[in-house]
Amino acid sequence: MKYYKILLKSCLILPLAFTVIISCNSSVNRQDKSTSVSDTLKSTESINPYIALDQSPMDMSYFPNNYPILKMNGTDSFGPVARVIYSRPQKKGRMILGEAGTKSLREYGKEWRLGANEATEIEFFKDVVINGKTIAKGRYIIYCIPLPDKWTIILNTNLFTWGLHMDKQKDIFSVDVPVELQAPALEDFTMVFEPAAYGADLVIAWDNIRTVLRISTRT
Amino acid sequence: MKKLLIAFLVFFIAASAVIAQPMLPSPDKSILDASYCPPNFPLLKIQDKATDPLLARIVYSRPQKNGRVIFGDLIPYGKVWRLGANEATEIEFFQNVKFANVAVKKGRYTLYAIPTESKWTFIINRETDVWGSFRYDSKKDVARVDVPVQLQNDISELFTVIFEKSAKGYELQFYWDNIKATVPVSL
Repeated sequence: MKYYKILLKSCLILPLAFTVIISCNSSVNRQDKSTSVSDTLKSTESINPYIALDQSPMDMSYFPNNYPILKMNGTDSFGPVARVIYSRPQKKGRMILGEAGTKSLREYGKEWRLGANEATEIEFFKDVVINGKTIAKGRYIIYCIPLPDKWTIILNTNLFTWGLHMDKQKDIFSVDVPVELQAPALEDFTMVFEPAAYGADLVIAWDNIRTVLRISTRT
Repeated sequence: MKKLLIAFLVFFIAASAVIAQPMLPSPDKSILDASYCPPNFPLLKIQDKATDPLLARIVYSRPQKNGRVIFGDLIPYGKVWRLGANEATEIEFFQNVKFANVAVKKGRYTLYAIPTESKWTFIINRETDVWGSFRYDSKKDVARVDVPVQLQNDISELFTVIFEKSAKGYELQFYWDNIKATVPVSL
């Protein structure tokens, strides 16, 4: 009988402990993101007289995942395929996408830079195929036009630009992808590659939704 | 026995519910940042205020001092340092430039430094997309430049890299703790 009690207790305590550990980690990660400023400005604070940390920190995702670490360990069998450099805004209790007039952060049907600050940059280190079209190796910006059920994902050659004015004349590719549910909901906007049979899926996830851009490396 | 089985079942379901969540990456502790030369080039560009063409961009991670002694302790003197955290710092030149007095062809490189008490040796290296300086190979060096260390009154909590306009072009400035190091960059 005692064993049952201990087991039952551990059933309750262990998952709880897991949750505590996980939430502790995320609270550490979420520091330094207090005051809200316009996303076109960098805030200044007393601890750094030069440039403070961005409200929406920049991050980088490679495919294969963690390519620089694979390379360091000598476990990369071939070179890098793709890299995304993007900024990671946080939900902070806001509605992310909505119709005009709903006070959502972004409106359906309006271009979105997929992040914050500079336009999100994607580099292909070799030719890839997306939706049957060959995308030449090179660097592009990537943005989207979100709708409730699908996003149009667009590649554009207007590099090194702030993400608020997309020069549509420099679009070179677009594809519609369905909106899927993301669970658990994500506080931080996330772009990450996942391996797929044909190459890689670029997962674009925030809050309770995600979209997937299928990238084939078989050209 | 039945209770035991149920207990196990409950535990595994609870545990797997935690484990089964996709491990999408959280923001890094030392966050990535980018500095452009001319400063704020992307913002200037969308406002049609960019008078000079894009010359360079640095992509680096920004560790914090967090009460630690940085140079000579966290970052040992005399050893190659990735100039930040995580991936090696990346510098890209969009035109052929002079890095201090060394001609460097346009392209994407990694940037390291060997700090000492009085001077920093900056190193531009051809091997890109690497983690840290663990596999740094001096045979792939493109330039090595020595600059004196400047002591600052202001403590910089965050490791910071910026370009600033100067009389002869630009200065690439590095700040952390009470140390500043500067490399001139020009056409």
